[in-house]
Amino acid sequence: MANPPVYEPVPLIYRESIRRFFFQGAFVAFVVLVLAFVLVRINIADFTLGFLNDPAGFQLSNQWLTDIDGSIESRWTVYFGAVWSSLRVVLVCIAASTVIGVVVGVARLSTNWVISRLAMLFVELFRNTPFYVQIIIWYAIITFGLPQIDDAIGIIDSFFISNRGIAIPWTVPNSGLWDLGDWLVGVWVALLIALGAAAMALRARRHRAERATGKPQYANRWAFGLFAVGALAGYLLLGGPVSMDRPFIGDNDYIEGMVIRPEFASLVFGLTIYTAAFNAEIVRASIQALPRGQTEAANAVGLSTYQRLTLIILPQALRQMIPSITNQYLNVWKNSSVAFAVLYADLFAVAQIFNNKVGRALEMFIVIIITYMLVSLIISAVMNILNRRVAAAER
Amino acid sequence: MTRMKYLRRAALLGLAGIIAALALVACSSDDGDDGAMVQGDTLAEIADRDELNCGVKQTQALFGLKTGDGDPEGFDIEFCKAIAAAVLNDAGKVNYVDASDASIRFNLLADKEIDVLIRTTTITSSRDSDLKVDFAQTTFYTGQGFAVHAGSDYNSTFDMNDNPTICVQTGTTTEQNLADHFLELGFDFEALGGSDAETLDAFTSGRCDVWTADQSNLASSISNLPNPGDFRILGQLISKEPLAPGVRDYDSDFKDLVNWIVHGLIAAEEAGVTQGNVAAMAANPPNTTIARLLGVSFGGGEIANHGFGSDSTPIDPQFIQRAIAAVGNYGEIYERTVGDAVPRACSLNALWSEDKRDCPPGTGGILYALPYR
Repeated sequence: MANPPVYEPVPLIYRESIRRFFFQGAFVAFVVLVLAFVLVRINIADFTLGFLNDPAGFQLSNQWLTDIDGSIESRWTVYFGAVWSSLRVVLVCIAASTVIGVVVGVARLSTNWVISRLAMLFVELFRNTPFYVQIIIWYAIITFGLPQIDDAIGIIDSFFISNRGIAIPWTVPNSGLWDLGDWLVGVWVALLIALGAAAMALRARRHRAERATGKPQYANRWAFGLFAVGALAGYLLLGGPVSMDRPFIGDNDYIEGMVIRPEFASLVFGLTIYTAAFNAEIVRASIQALPRGQTEAANAVGLSTYQRLTLIILPQALRQMIPSITNQYLNVWKNSSVAFAVLYADLFAVAQIFNNKVGRALEMFIVIIITYMLVSLIISAVMNILNRRVAAAER
Repeated sequence: MTRMKYLRRAALLGLAGIIAALALVACSSDDGDDGAMVQGDTLAEIADRDELNCGVKQTQALFGLKTGDGDPEGFDIEFCKAIAAAVLNDAGKVNYVDASDASIRFNLLADKEIDVLIRTTTITSSRDSDLKVDFAQTTFYTGQGFAVHAGSDYNSTFDMNDNPTICVQTGTTTEQNLADHFLELGFDFEALGGSDAETLDAFTSGRCDVWTADQSNLASSISNLPNPGDFRILGQLISKEPLAPGVRDYDSDFKDLVNWIVHGLIAAEEAGVTQGNVAAMAANPPNTTIARLLGVSFGGGEIANHGFGSDSTPIDPQFIQRAIAAVGNYGEIYERTVGDAVPRACSLNALWSEDKRDCPPGTGGILYALPYR
């Protein structure tokens, strides 16, 4: 009878499962070691956010719509004021960089040689130089290039430009006919929101009717008309809830009106241009990714260039764009943290000042990271909803 | 069956790794505490090395600025030279160590990379108690000050009641001092916070009416501009920033020596001893005060004793003589380095004995040398 083959036991180190187990164990041990080291070093028992309830002790600059007195208000209040400063920059930049990005991206594909080369120059110039350097240059151009406040350039006594910023007429609330005080503005704003919703509903209805009957229903014109007439009627009926206030030049600064400060302007302008250069490339690539047949078909049915772009090309390109554009929006939010370089008090700059004062770097960085992550997640969530709607509508 | 055994063994191995790691952390957290404090002997180390390691700033005009390959120059540098001259009899035997980076300056001292730190460093109670540093006699009194454009109407913050835009160098307590000060005044202001270079640019461009930072810092930054005459530094100070040499904790002999070199240079100015006349004064001292300061005999008697030169402080009594011969008295150092940018008259850094009748109320010198005897 044949002896059953005798297998030498495989040495331990050659066993795949053993090896895996050992390396995974070593990795877990390493992670535990690092975590334990950090916990021991930072003395977790000492962790507190209580210092954020104390008065900030310094003035928050570049405020808009808020009037936070940092000498009295808590650090939390000043911090949220600074978060609002950051958000303001980002909201403007996202909107503006998208519009400029689409225009430049389409222009790059133009058959007009001059336009496409100009668009290319724009993209290559702003995409290939550091953002940090760009905003510092913008700020220097504004502060050193524009005239002093005493020699401000005035346009019809309503707009002023100097290195203290650009002053424009701005609304001030009135109490109007009904003597409602500042509430009157609230009533009017509520009316505007209601009108906006009604206009959207009207537009959707007329769109449906157009699809059902095939007869043009001029949905956009109707919607805009409803909004404009309603807003004007409301304004007159309430007796003028807001009036425009013209700025003028005081001792050493503008008085009244709204002032767009050089810090805000250079950050927003720099961030917008920089992001727009990337957005333009995304738009161009998304359009070029479409089959050529789409353009040819649009031409074949006799659509104008504008109709071809707005009805055929861009809606389809949008599907390609959204994931990449989402990344750009997240970058806008994160890049806004260099605001300090142009003396703009964003949330990071303010947190650094807290840090210098109280020396609670760990706590402050956790707060900063949570803030950046929260807003990033919100931007992603909104863009995901948009993505799903566009994807669903197009298929 | 064997597979199970191997797995169990591997699991045990992993567990042992985790336990070992934890044990390592637990142990490592215990060390790092200071052992028994032993008196340092920096003086002997300097003598053995035949060179003074002086931690200085290399980026601040007037105080410590390095241009090209040469040694740095400035007010603080003169005190390095004075110490080297006193200890090693040669003002050139200084190794200038770059301590420009504020975040590592005290570590350089604790790690014995430098013997003394002379780098526009403010004495504060928390630094003295928390860090391994002792401070010697203040060499320069300054504080948070204000700079304005030459044509400005402002002569002090009391004039700033029309909502000025103020550029403030953020970092330490500058913005808080500013806010507190204006809160007390009851005035509004627009603050623009940023780093040194950016706030300076914003100020010079006219974006800000006022620039606030440590006055010594304002002076050195403005002196570096191509057009320093377009700006004016106000005399007012709203905080205390006494700048002093730092030495290692637990080395009182060396600290004493640095202390008395600073006092000696001030005492020399009080007594009228200068770089030019110190040799003549030592040969023929006009009075006992000067004889004691310079460590020479008066009228052929015993060599005057001021305490240094005993076994506990192994340095000869003539160390101040050498320091004065090398760099001059305090007033000469001041005028040679910062005098043009920061006028000394009526500032805190004038002698206590200056005639204060022409000074604005609340100003005037406070330098007061302790007695050598």
